[in-house]
Amino acid sequence: MLNKAKQDRHVWLDIILTLCTYELMAYFYYGMRTVVLAGICAAAAAAAELVSVRLMGRRFTADDLPCTSDALITALMVPAVMDMKAAAIAVIFSVVAAKNIFGGRKNMIFSPAAAAYVFMLTSWKTQVLQFTEPHVHTAIFGKAEELVNSASHAFNISGSLDYTNFELIMGNFPGPSGSGCVLLLMVSAVVLLFRRDISAGAFIGSVAGTIAMCCIAPDSDTVMHSIKYTFITNMTLFASVYIVADRRIAPRKEHFAFFYGLFIAVFSYIIVMTTAKENAIVIVSLLFTPVALGIRNLEKRIDLAVAEEAAAQSANAGEEAAAVE
Amino acid sequence: MSKKKFHPFEGIWRDNTVLSSLMVISPVIVCGDTLRNAAALIYAFSAITLLSVLISSFVPKKLPYAAKIVIYALISSAVYIPVKLAAQEFFPGVVSRVGIYFPLLAVNSLIVFQTEAKFFRMPKKHMLVSLISYIIGFDAVMLITAFVRELIAYGTINSRMADADTLISGLGLPFGGFILLGLFCGVYRALRSLFTGEDKEAD
Amino acid sequence: MFLITDLIALLTANLILTQALGTSTLFIAADNRRSLIWTALSITLFTTAGSCAAYMTDWLLPAAAKDLTLLMYTLSVSIIYVLLLSALYFISRTTFNKAKKYIHLSAFNCAVMGTLFTATGRASADPSAFSISSYVLFGLEAGAGFVISALILTAAYRKLNSAKVPAPFRGFPAMLVYLGIISMAVYALK
Repeated sequence: MLNKAKQDRHVWLDIILTLCTYELMAYFYYGMRTVVLAGICAAAAAAAELVSVRLMGRRFTADDLPCTSDALITALMVPAVMDMKAAAIAVIFSVVAAKNIFGGRKNMIFSPAAAAYVFMLTSWKTQVLQFTEPHVHTAIFGKAEELVNSASHAFNISGSLDYTNFELIMGNFPGPSGSGCVLLLMVSAVVLLFRRDISAGAFIGSVAGTIAMCCIAPDSDTVMHSIKYTFITNMTLFASVYIVADRRIAPRKEHFAFFYGLFIAVFSYIIVMTTAKENAIVIVSLLFTPVALGIRNLEKRIDLAVAEEAAAQSANAGEEAAAVE
Repeated sequence: MSKKKFHPFEGIWRDNTVLSSLMVISPVIVCGDTLRNAAALIYAFSAITLLSVLISSFVPKKLPYAAKIVIYALISSAVYIPVKLAAQEFFPGVVSRVGIYFPLLAVNSLIVFQTEAKFFRMPKKHMLVSLISYIIGFDAVMLITAFVRELIAYGTINSRMADADTLISGLGLPFGGFILLGLFCGVYRALRSLFTGEDKEAD
Repeated sequence: MFLITDLIALLTANLILTQALGTSTLFIAADNRRSLIWTALSITLFTTAGSCAAYMTDWLLPAAAKDLTLLMYTLSVSIIYVLLLSALYFISRTTFNKAKKYIHLSAFNCAVMGTLFTATGRASADPSAFSISSYVLFGLEAGAGFVISALILTAAYRKLNSAKVPAPFRGFPAMLVYLGIISMAVYALK
């Protein structure tokens, strides 16, 4: 039990460290406002967690800190010029309605970050999908002068992007404040996979599903372009790492998790292809929650059946040994 | 056989139509987003339920269950006609905005099922008081939900601008209704257990 | 690929997740596998047969008598209800005893009546949808939508009723919030 708690805290620490690197990148592109936005989200999440945990009659401990990493994920998925009050409301919603109402970290149902993002998308769609260009630093409490559509939008509409490979790898294009730098994302994914902080099955499934769909039905002129642009746009890689492969939500057994990730990737690819819906992977991850829960129920049943069979076998072996004696 | 104690205001607090029994929730979830809609729905629900249950109480008790259910549903569907015609006079425009939820109020489970399970087991006088309390219970929840949703989602109170700078438009949509009603249900249960010292559902 | 787009279309047109029709029945249906199967079957039967009857009503009822629509729909559903109960009673007494609870629950239900009104609304908005096949298909879709919603709720049923959920939110309130969040995701897909 103690080891499990220690392990959970290490997972949180690893995830926070990787998220801080994106935050640094976001600071480089969009200025201080994005850091303040992330800070406000984290503070709102911690406050909401503290109040709801106290209302549930528990003490706030270090185990409750993952709410801050969820808040950081949320902050990195929105534009740097997002209204801070709206972002804070969404984070509070995710902590209270999407997590603690169901019993909190011990009975997780939804990914809080995905719930917060979809909540913002449905309530403040224009704000969530309108961005400033990189290197345009908006004042902390100021308003953006010129807003543009994201690179994902351009790709979903036209099937191509007008950026150099270096710009694409470094996330130097209009989009969510911290989820565009593919180079950092790849490094983080490898680190988190080796540290076993994310579900390897779900992550690999999501990547494999996306690649498979790019090969079957490329949404660009060549398969390679399709793979490249698909991973860079629509937060595909970011969501694969931090939402789809979230250990708290994904099925426990890696082979089940693989199919869970695979189906999310396939569904979101088809949605992007047929409806040009931006960041569909986040929405689909939320919609696939019942699937994850169903698979977890199945896993429990299998474990129970295996345990019963093992118990029956050991009882039989005991009886046989007694008979021999 | 022990006789159950009569609680005249049970339907308002202890056994609220919406928050406790989860009856007639779809109009609250979908149309309870403005006070104007709420007023029209409250009028329709109150009139249809009161008249239908009163008329249905004269249906012979000895009939088979299925026949009684059919008769109750037909009575409420008939009562709906004059109620709708009057609503078109009192609430012009709202009837079309509320859409299918207006006729659906006529076949609500409070009329069709609860009459048989609850109201018709009481003496007529008790039945009337209890019925009115259940109707008020629905009306109160509808009003509170509509007030909160209109204020937060549209920044208005009864279509007049209120001082709200950050609006959460999602709360005016059906999913907002689901979530808000769920939160209200939980808060209601917590308060009920606090005041009455009982926690029926939790047990 | 078409199967997935159809599934997404079914989800975005789901009467429970988008219009909250039949939510309380859904809570009863998700309780166990038996009630899920029986309720889903009877709801689908009522929505399909009811849609057929709704088509006939819309076809026969003159425009001047549109206020009688609800009464006619209720009459149609009542006839289906009585016929179904009688048929089951004469075919097998055991099945009748097993199924009658779910038939009572499904007959005069928001999901069924809502389907009939939605089918009519769709046909009046788009005259090409005014055909018996379109009505029946819509009834079947509504039934399938109910099954999908019931499965969505069944997957989380144990977690939503678990002792880990705070007592005031355990059960129905948690289910409402859960359905609300799923409904939010469905709305975001539209």
